Amino acid sequence: MQDLLNAPRLRRLAAFGAVGGVAALYLAMVGLVEAFKDRNVITGVVTLGAVMLLAVPLIAGYRAAIVPRDVTEGWTRSGLQRAVNGFVAGLIAGGMLGLLVFVGRAVDLRGVLISISPDLLDFLSFGLPRAGAAVAIAVVGGAVGTLGALLLISPPRIRAVITTGLLAVILISLSEPFIRPRLEQLDYTAISDFLYQAHGLTVPAAIAAFVAGIVGSALWAPARARVRQTVEAAPPERRRSIRNWTIVAALIGVLILPQVSGTFFAQVLVLIGLYLLLALGLNIVVGYAGLLDLGYVAFFAVGAYLTALLTSPDSSLGIGLPFFVALPIVMLGAGATGLLIGAPVLRLRGDYLAIVTLGFGEIARILFESEALRPWLGGVQGILGIPNPFPARIDLDIGVAHLVASGPQVLYYPILAFCMLAAFAANRLANSRVGRAWNAMREDESVAEATGVSTVNYKLLAFSLGATTGCLSGALFAVQLQSVFPGSFDVLVSITVLAVIILGGMGSIPGVVVGAIVLIGLPQLLREFAEYRLLVYGGVLVAMMLLRPEGLIPNRSRQRELHDAMDDEEEAEPPQPELAAQRGSA
Amino acid sequence: MRATDVRLRLPQRFNLVSAILWGLRIVVVVLVLAGAWATLSSGKLSPDTWRDLVVFGIAQGSVYALIALGYTLVYGVLFMINFAHGDVFMTGAMTAFFVARNFDESGFLNANPIVALLILFAVSMLTSMVVAIALERIAYRPLRRAPRLVPLITAIGASLFISNSVRGIYGEQDQAYPTINALQGRFDIFGIPILKTQAVVIVAAVVFMVGLVYFVERTRTGRAMRAVSEDKDVAALMGINVDRIIVTTFAIGGALAGAAGILYALVFNEVDWFMGFLPGIKAFTAAVLGGIGNIAGAMLGGLTLGVLESVGPFLLLGGAGVPSPNQLRDVIAFTVLVLVLIFRPNGILGQSEPGS
Repeated sequence: MQDLLNAPRLRRLAAFGAVGGVAALYLAMVGLVEAFKDRNVITGVVTLGAVMLLAVPLIAGYRAAIVPRDVTEGWTRSGLQRAVNGFVAGLIAGGMLGLLVFVGRAVDLRGVLISISPDLLDFLSFGLPRAGAAVAIAVVGGAVGTLGALLLISPPRIRAVITTGLLAVILISLSEPFIRPRLEQLDYTAISDFLYQAHGLTVPAAIAAFVAGIVGSALWAPARARVRQTVEAAPPERRRSIRNWTIVAALIGVLILPQVSGTFFAQVLVLIGLYLLLALGLNIVVGYAGLLDLGYVAFFAVGAYLTALLTSPDSSLGIGLPFFVALPIVMLGAGATGLLIGAPVLRLRGDYLAIVTLGFGEIARILFESEALRPWLGGVQGILGIPNPFPARIDLDIGVAHLVASGPQVLYYPILAFCMLAAFAANRLANSRVGRAWNAMREDESVAEATGVSTVNYKLLAFSLGATTGCLSGALFAVQLQSVFPGSFDVLVSITVLAVIILGGMGSIPGVVVGAIVLIGLPQLLREFAEYRLLVYGGVLVAMMLLRPEGLIPNRSRQRELHDAMDDEEEAEPPQPELAAQRGSA
Repeated sequence: MRATDVRLRLPQRFNLVSAILWGLRIVVVVLVLAGAWATLSSGKLSPDTWRDLVVFGIAQGSVYALIALGYTLVYGVLFMINFAHGDVFMTGAMTAFFVARNFDESGFLNANPIVALLILFAVSMLTSMVVAIALERIAYRPLRRAPRLVPLITAIGASLFISNSVRGIYGEQDQAYPTINALQGRFDIFGIPILKTQAVVIVAAVVFMVGLVYFVERTRTGRAMRAVSEDKDVAALMGINVDRIIVTTFAIGGALAGAAGILYALVFNEVDWFMGFLPGIKAFTAAVLGGIGNIAGAMLGGLTLGVLESVGPFLLLGGAGVPSPNQLRDVIAFTVLVLVLIFRPNGILGQSEPGS
């Protein structure tokens, strides 16, 4: 036993366990476990709340099993010792949660911690009395911690396979709100009954999903290598035609997506599209020009309100212009607003600019809401009766297929068109003289100015282009709801759009698309999640800045900028112990 | 440094930007004069009302000033805007609420109001301090050398994270702070009747500010803080533990914010998870108004903003026949913010260009 546990090691393990314990307590107290405890992942086996809690000792055990590089005393690479490490860390993490259950059963904590409800405690206690429950949680924590350690010890191939399999199960299970209604609509009830039961996967389906995940991951790497090899071996003109055909295929895929996936999914796509359009606009301001604009929602609001004023016969103007006549006026108006807001703040340094634009955004919202401007802007009641310029239903018979689209399935297409237009324009701009000027300005304003870049003009250009793109989204938003309310335009919209850009990668268009899909699309899978959306966005902003400030799909030059500045610091730090350990174990 | 250079080299001709800036100046001056004239000539509000508005403004201004000190202290040592400071302020007030409710139910609050208040201060200050220290350790320390926007974005994320965590842990409803019977009614100070709560708030804020000034000017740690804000590298060479001083700065800023949380609860009687956002931005405005990085400036800025915000809506908008002017009080605060940052970013007492 002396060999397996000693004081310095125990202290380190206690630290891992305690961090895990705090994480588990946080999940329980903030209400996430309670919110997800009835959402089945595998019906009758495990729920999403349990998955979240189990992930904590798993990660704690995994981390605790890593042998630190700098400490040699009493650490060995023996599998048994590392498994014990994982067990101890998991036990401590579980024990802390067990303590909460123990106390929660004795004293009613709900007066302060509203999420510690009897329901939650029942969920956590496995039907045992409180002391037994506390011990049981600790033991489960220890067991899962050991699994985490075993995962680390196991060969990387196996680790990858197991991880992919588990992720496949969770993903397919969580996609239930998208997949099941569609399967039933298309009369594949047999498949949907095989897959899902009570919003979770059935046990056979879970096994199938796990196997599918494993097979997929086993086939993926060689398949990708093969495709890459073929493409690289091909002559240039052939390569170009491959590229063109890929684009055509992707385009067709995007065009028929709402047809294949049904109305609910189309609704989600519309939402993603609206935010994507906003994010593409903000990306010009933040990603290209490097101006952190926290009042971006103001342009979204201006677009929506101008559309409402110009097209709705019920508005104070009451002229009821057709949408496509109004649109250029809306864009001009928003561009002018961009100039008006941009001009005074140009000289401000980065962080002051962020706060001033935040102030502008809030002023806009309060004015839209105020009684004082009510005769013109409708106050809290907003403006109603915006006509929808798009047909409510499309019925197309083109020989090979009969296309029927309704509601969001129709609106999807103009949004898609605007998004593609904005992405194309942004891409062309980024690779032009203007884009290079923005680049230079972002990296060093004084040097850019000295080399003849008119920073004032280029900043104004970025602001007004961003505003124009944002107002398009606002106009489509107004059309979609057929009404506008000031409540839709608070600062959280700006921050959501910022999170989309940060997650994907500032200045990277593919990144922005991925960011919008992840941050706007995924939450729609989880109804219970709505309340915690902003919590997660906040966490995403912090985590991305700490771990990967260039985003998931980085823009090359932006990545270099961010890392150049931090390189001094990274060189000073010792190499990451876990990487070394992983290399050692591999 | 760069901002000054750019400004000096800008051609002094009348271009689009300066046209817009001049337009803005003229619009603001005309609006202020016209609004004030209309209100004063209509004589709708009695002198007593004006007096109450001013005293209320000073009370809320001293709360802003205490929060603003946190922004200013952190800016002094790190040159970053701690956007999550408003939420640090919120955590203290929210946590102390549960203690206050307990005291109220057990009758302790009204039996020993002074002891109870002191305990509430201690709880609130401790909570905010712990949150501020954790924030620095987890979110800001790894990013000391990152480009400026990176810690700012982190701070925005941290702000969302803290406020929504509190929402999940303590619930999302508004919580009404229990009232203290001993603080009902008015004191008569030099013939001016002042609400007791507001008098207590003003006095407490002054005590905290004096304590802070003493700490920064007279103690060893305070001297180290000043050294770090002058030059981190040289301070480190002089044997100062820079990391520790930075943590101390966050801790003091957090504690002052916690104190401000209790004072806020005394003035407004209500707390909720989102209460950090507006006071946070207003306190930042106050800090910039006074000159960010300057302790006296933060106090002056807080009081100025508090009074402007309380008197402004009635003085500038009431007389002009704007319906429900109080709805627009936040617009006044934001307008002050925008105008100060645009026209005088170094504030009333700031000497050098900020961030130079």
